[in-house]
Amino acid sequence: MNLWRDIKGTVQPFWVTLRNMLRRPVTVRYPEQKRTPPPRYRARIVLTRDPDGGERCVACYLCSAACPVDCISMQAAEAPDGRRHAAWFRINFARCIYCGLCAEACPTLAIQMTPDFAFCKDEPLRLVYEKEDLLINDGGKDREYNFYRHAGIGVVNPRGGNDDEYGPVDVKSNLP
Amino acid sequence: MPKLTIDNQSVEVPDGTNVLEAAKRLGIVIPHFCYHEALGAVGACRLCAMKFEDGPVKGIQMACMVTAQEGMVVSTLDAATVEFRAHVIEWLMMNHPHDCPVCDEGGECQLQDMTVAGGHTLRRYRGLKRTYPNQQLGPFIEHEMNRCIQCYRCARTYQDYCGGEDFGVLGTNQRVYFGRFRDGRLESPFSGNLVDVCPTGVFTDKAFRFKSRYWDLEEAPSVCPHCGLGCATIPGGRYRELQRVRAGSNRQTNGFFICDRGRFGYGHAAHAARPRVPLVDGQEVDWTQALAAARARLDKIIAAHGPRSVALLGSSRAGLEANAQLRSLARLLGTDRVVFAAHAPRDWTARTLAAGLGAQASSLDDVRRSDCLLLIGADPLAEAPLLALAVRQAVRGGARAAIIDPRPVALPCATAHLPLAPWRLGQALAALGDNDWSRFEGQEAVFLEGVHEALAGARHPIVIGGADLLGPAGMRQLLELARRLSREDRPCGAMGVLSGPNSYGAALLAGDGPDFEELSNAMITGEVRALICLESDPLTQAADPAHAGLALARLDLLVALDSLPTKTLGHAQIILPTTVTAEGAGCFVNNEGRMQTFMRVLAPGLPLRETGGGGHPPRLFMADTPGAAPRPAWEILAGLQGRAASLAELRDALAREDVRFAGLTALAAESEGQRVADAGLALPATRVEDYVPRDGELALLVCEALFGSEETAFYSAPLDPVRPEPRLILHERDAGRLGVTPGEQVRLHSAVEEVVLPVEIRADSAPGVAILPRVRGSLVEAFVPGVGPQPCRINREVDHA
Repeated sequence: MNLWRDIKGTVQPFWVTLRNMLRRPVTVRYPEQKRTPPPRYRARIVLTRDPDGGERCVACYLCSAACPVDCISMQAAEAPDGRRHAAWFRINFARCIYCGLCAEACPTLAIQMTPDFAFCKDEPLRLVYEKEDLLINDGGKDREYNFYRHAGIGVVNPRGGNDDEYGPVDVKSNLP
Repeated sequence: MPKLTIDNQSVEVPDGTNVLEAAKRLGIVIPHFCYHEALGAVGACRLCAMKFEDGPVKGIQMACMVTAQEGMVVSTLDAATVEFRAHVIEWLMMNHPHDCPVCDEGGECQLQDMTVAGGHTLRRYRGLKRTYPNQQLGPFIEHEMNRCIQCYRCARTYQDYCGGEDFGVLGTNQRVYFGRFRDGRLESPFSGNLVDVCPTGVFTDKAFRFKSRYWDLEEAPSVCPHCGLGCATIPGGRYRELQRVRAGSNRQTNGFFICDRGRFGYGHAAHAARPRVPLVDGQEVDWTQALAAARARLDKIIAAHGPRSVALLGSSRAGLEANAQLRSLARLLGTDRVVFAAHAPRDWTARTLAAGLGAQASSLDDVRRSDCLLLIGADPLAEAPLLALAVRQAVRGGARAAIIDPRPVALPCATAHLPLAPWRLGQALAALGDNDWSRFEGQEAVFLEGVHEALAGARHPIVIGGADLLGPAGMRQLLELARRLSREDRPCGAMGVLSGPNSYGAALLAGDGPDFEELSNAMITGEVRALICLESDPLTQAADPAHAGLALARLDLLVALDSLPTKTLGHAQIILPTTVTAEGAGCFVNNEGRMQTFMRVLAPGLPLRETGGGGHPPRLFMADTPGAAPRPAWEILAGLQGRAASLAELRDALAREDVRFAGLTALAAESEGQRVADAGLALPATRVEDYVPRDGELALLVCEALFGSEETAFYSAPLDPVRPEPRLILHERDAGRLGVTPGEQVRLHSAVEEVVLPVEIRADSAPGVAILPRVRGSLVEAFVPGVGPQPCRINREVDHA
């Protein structure tokens, strides 16, 4: 039996080679020729905006907590209208491993991954992206979502003005 | 001692323990919201359900409401109870907003934890959510009522435990609301505890708003440096900035709560003018150069004028190890001129207390359990706020509390107050000891007799005296009174209210050494040419700041070690920056002689907020952290002695050298601390004679205020909004005689300064005494408390003009 197996093992690779000799190559001549990666490809991270044009990021620190390589850092701040936002937001792409855990952790869909994978630099500091480098003027995936319309604490709509809320109660009423 | 079985493990607990606590002892954590050890059980949240399978109680019950009894068999994992708890969580979440990402409680939220623990992951209820209006609750607390789950912990803390009256429950039905009647600052000085007790994010820390998540904070057990009580705290820092302080728990001292001064007094660590680099004659130098320069100049002065021309000044703000290092530096230099407090009368009072307290020492927990309290010359809310809370707990438990004090002392509980002029407090103490009321008349005699009767009949009486008003002589009488009231079967406790976090420790080290008055006289005569000043600011702390200023001006060399931008630094040739409490480890001895250690929370450094200018941090690679030069004072002082020692070695040496600190080596942070051993020191002789005004004269009494008087808290920005405006308190009879109306500007003529102040008129202060609470950074900064009554003259400003 071992003899048959040895013969098969010797001949089969030649057969595979012969078969592929007549096929067209699947490789492309990158970078002259570019391929579009699938839309859910995990590469350069962006910060998106809600449909009203506001920054989606509320600087909740969940992405930085989820990040296994600690490449995200930020500082939250409060805007005059009570909106929580990032005073600064920094992703060190030199350290990022494109695992996508930050995008998964993001409760407001602010942090999203794009298919743009080719942005290497000749200097490590240029891979440290600040908020202005990350923020785009688009909603990315799920364009219609606005966290504050569901949060239930005011800010975008008046208090109690969201679709799933009653208006504020009158605490001084003693009616049943 | 009933024995019961919980989840197949048996446990024996003291009588009266509830089943929830019994389970905690076994390490079984059952979700609960409304139960809190300090607040007790009310069974409101319905979350701590357990199945009672056998014994006197049967079925699913709330564990916090059932007292542990013999033979109980309890299951926490029973399928029916787990489902019950899951349902409770689901209904608590029904109206809860979807805002965890923008909520500061996120990460340390009990509701989050319990929701996950209860397995509630998907919202099934599709109806509308209830919402509330919010209120502005002042500079400390942010209000977000939509998050409320109606556990009533806030109302029970604020009203029941802390005695606040301006906050509570409003509304009926589905509209139950926790807030004030109208917007406004929460009046209780314990309002910050709402942040700690709220199991969700209804009350969050406004000064800490959006700064950090709990998981990003560097935290370590620490001791509060803002008064002499030594409350346990847990400061938290991030990005080189101390960002918040929350209450730690120490059952012997603070229990579970702290005051707002302790909670929001951390800002001094990030003060813009804080000394951050060693300076020699105004030039920035490195540590080696600075220590060498200090040592060379000291040696030069010693060579020229002898070793006694160098003096050393410690402080109650510095830890025990730092003060002990100061003492050993003095020995090395060969000088006996080492003093541990810049305020001579306070120093002697603390030394009297430290020498004579002995077995009478009472902790705050003893105060909470006491059934009769006498507070004499002590204003807890101003001098040691948590003491007021402890007195309140005693009164809630049925204790009687009497206050003898010239100030209109207001505690958050029912007390009897006798406004007695400061120079008569000693007479009152003597009268209480001798049971002789001949020097008092009418109501005063009746009051004192009642106090004596209550103290004599009580089971756990404690007498509490304030160092500032009693002075050394009064403190001695207080200790004597406690001894006289003690019987074989029933000791009478004593407690002294001291000003600094390490006043007691400094007093123990001082022994019968010189005081600052002696030192400053020697500076003025030129006997002392150089002063090493450890975290002390004689220009604002000394009993006579003007005299201290003259003394400092005569010095050839002033070496100042400090973490605060004090006035004294302005006179120093050599400035050595030290760490604040949270940046260095050490030990404080509190006002009952309890040694408590604190750990390093974060490394010193210029906050990222400042180096980044509000935007993103600088894009620079740096080997050094900016502003990281400050070192612990004990390290600097050891360096001046030419050796490098670890804290453990210094503690070891101190414990071996001084039997009183023997427990220091084994002391762990987060423990209850350990009392210093009684060394049987001789009581120092008392010398100070109080000024007694003649009839018709007014005496000026400078005292502490809750906010604005304490040194470290004064440098803290979060407390700026509550710093009071200076005012003068007059008794209505004196005001009538002077023809002054409330709020009117008067001119106060005194030996210290002439100032113009508005007047507050009270009926419950002592007549003949004008009371001036000290507010640092205002026009009354030069008035220092703790010096006894002073002669003064008061005119209406209209007449003056």
